[in-house]
Amino acid sequence: MSDAPLIFSPKPDRPAPADTVGLLGWIRQNLFKDVPNALMTLLGAYIIFVVTGAVVNWALIDAVWSAESRRECLDQVGRAGACWPGVAAWFKNLIYGLYPKDQVWRINLGFVLLVLWMLPLWMPKVTSKIGIGLSAVLLYPFLASYFFLGGEKALVWTALIALGLCGLIWVWSTALTETLVEKPLGSWVIGRLGVPEADERRQRQTKLICAALLFVAAFAFVSLWSLSEVRTRLWGGLFLTLVISGIGITFSLPAGILLALGRRSDLPVIAAMSTLFIELFRSVPLITILFMFNTMLPLFMPTGIEVNQLVRAIVAVCLFAAAYMAEVVRGGLQAIDKGQYEASSSLGMGYWQTTTLIVLPQALKIMIPAIVGNFIGLFKDTTLVSIIGLFDLMNMARAIGEDTRWLGLFIEPFFVVSLIYFVFCFAMSSYSMGLERKLATGRDRS
Amino acid sequence: MRLRYIAHAALALGLAAPAFAQETMETVKERGVLNCQVGLPTPGFYALAEDGTWSGMDVDLCRAVSAAIFGDPDQVEYQSVTSAVRFTSLANAESDMLSRTTTWTAVRDTQLGLDFTTVNFYDGQGFLVPADSGITSALELDGGVICVLTGTTTELNLADYFRANGMSFTPVTNENVNVLVETYLGGGCDAYTNDKSGLAARRSAFPDPNGHTLLPETVSKEPLGPVVRQGDDAWANLVRWVVFGIINAEELGVSSENVDEMTSSADPNIARLLGSEGNIGEGLGVSPTFMVDVIKAVGNYGEIYEKHIGENTPIGIPREGTLNALWTEGGIIYAPPFR
Repeated sequence: MSDAPLIFSPKPDRPAPADTVGLLGWIRQNLFKDVPNALMTLLGAYIIFVVTGAVVNWALIDAVWSAESRRECLDQVGRAGACWPGVAAWFKNLIYGLYPKDQVWRINLGFVLLVLWMLPLWMPKVTSKIGIGLSAVLLYPFLASYFFLGGEKALVWTALIALGLCGLIWVWSTALTETLVEKPLGSWVIGRLGVPEADERRQRQTKLICAALLFVAAFAFVSLWSLSEVRTRLWGGLFLTLVISGIGITFSLPAGILLALGRRSDLPVIAAMSTLFIELFRSVPLITILFMFNTMLPLFMPTGIEVNQLVRAIVAVCLFAAAYMAEVVRGGLQAIDKGQYEASSSLGMGYWQTTTLIVLPQALKIMIPAIVGNFIGLFKDTTLVSIIGLFDLMNMARAIGEDTRWLGLFIEPFFVVSLIYFVFCFAMSSYSMGLERKLATGRDRS
Repeated sequence: MRLRYIAHAALALGLAAPAFAQETMETVKERGVLNCQVGLPTPGFYALAEDGTWSGMDVDLCRAVSAAIFGDPDQVEYQSVTSAVRFTSLANAESDMLSRTTTWTAVRDTQLGLDFTTVNFYDGQGFLVPADSGITSALELDGGVICVLTGTTTELNLADYFRANGMSFTPVTNENVNVLVETYLGGGCDAYTNDKSGLAARRSAFPDPNGHTLLPETVSKEPLGPVVRQGDDAWANLVRWVVFGIINAEELGVSSENVDEMTSSADPNIARLLGSEGNIGEGLGVSPTFMVDVIKAVGNYGEIYEKHIGENTPIGIPREGTLNALWTEGGIIYAPPFR
């Protein structure tokens, strides 16, 4: 008997069969596994070929690229090819509506500011993300609405705009100090000014003074310039669609969370009111709500008070979206185990601590697909405002076919509008999928 | 007790509304802008250009009223409203007047709190058929498939006409004109029906306009004109007499080109129209020479017609021999005298 230890030495793995690896293997496995499978593949490929071929022919090969009117297009190719010059001539209107062309930079600047404001949220070293997010929701609208609306600004209005400007400055100085010296803005400033760290009262005073100085400077700056007024009747196109859906989306999530919590609340009055609100708005079609707000609301208002038509539409969309969001959130809340509540109670947490620290973070994470699905739905639902006469993307596209020069041109504008909608909706859903992957930790039991 | 307060408050609000309506003129002057309601863009009547400007027959009435009040035709905010909410929007005082190819009917005039001021275009419903179908009369359409806009008087007129003539038809409906036109061009229906002005406009944009025939029958009366809220007679008078003024101007040969010379005309009718004699403007709450401003801004009725829907425009609706010719030329465009 030999004492030599028995050592297991595996043979090297044999390579996988040649027809199961690589591109060829994948094709064989997935597309041509057996005869019916292969037939389906060929049929599918044929259908794709025919459809894309027809679309490419119409949209690119047979299309007319320069013409002065639809008549010219028709004379060149009839209805076999697309007539793009009409869409090109109206493209600015599709994006900005009837907004004065020399003021369009204000819209662009407004959106650049939003991107700037949100950018720090994706910077890895920034820690005050909650503050930045909150300021974007609470302060950015003041700045943006003045850029978009313009006009006379009274004292309060000036102060609010200045507050918005301060918000932006704060966001970027915070992002910079946290990235470069890895300290919150406040303590960095205090460090630079040489205020002793132990003296909390003086620290608070210094911070307050700094904030006040910043506000006064911003106020003075804002009072110096003014923009011409652009009435909301001239807003339109993609810009209007983004404004309505943006406000709707921003409002619906917090409102939906509150409504859902309200509906599950132990306090009977709050629960009943939340339920009533949700069920009322959920059982009526959006178009009806829009009509109600558009035509009935002015009847109930005291004479002389005019509520802007756009505001009415936005309020209607917000309330409708909040009711739907509430039910999505309630579904998420119900998915959280009772054990989580009990565990947090046993740690001595109260209702709000349990909700904000334990329940909501878990619930929101599992709700991402449903929430984003709702956002996408809302984004597309905003086309309904065209029915009450707002010139959103859809209505603007329709207006092209009613222009005397481009009369009857309507497939091309709707084709372009579909592409625009697709880009936005696909971006939203891709982002949500990315977010899900990023947050898929711990709870994934599959 | 409390209920009674609420009822009183509601009543007060209700009473306040007509009081407000009495002063449309004051409101407009104070605002500095005339809120004029038009429809979703429609060529010839209220067309929207890509630079955001509105133009057309009906738009020129808004401009004319603005010129009468402010001496400037551009003090107008155009409110593009769908036909579904046009009357509520006017009744709610969101718009001061409505000028958007709206048919004057008894029900609308008496039951909606509206006042039809006058007629600026006489339209009527007709049928468009492919020329190679060989159809020459609407009476040959029995059993046919007809494309018709949904939710308008057009649909009802169609049903009335076929019933009155003991014929049957299958409707193809849509609320979008362009969809209907595509259906019609694709052979989805035998005839396309709409107001004749609309048919002419649409046909001009067909790949082959001459391949389609407008049938001679007119199956409905569609007198179109500006509308105001009921209960403000002074305001209704202004709108009505601006339109009358434009028609009188054509009859008297006053146009945007010769209006300055005409102010010194010896013809008393012209002198009264242009305010160089008498003061008709006073009774309307505007300046005596308001028609000079109006005609300078938009021209007389004939000029407006030729500029927007006449034969030299893409819309190309001939005027001669139709209802829309002046009464002196065989039509029924007629206005009471300025005196």
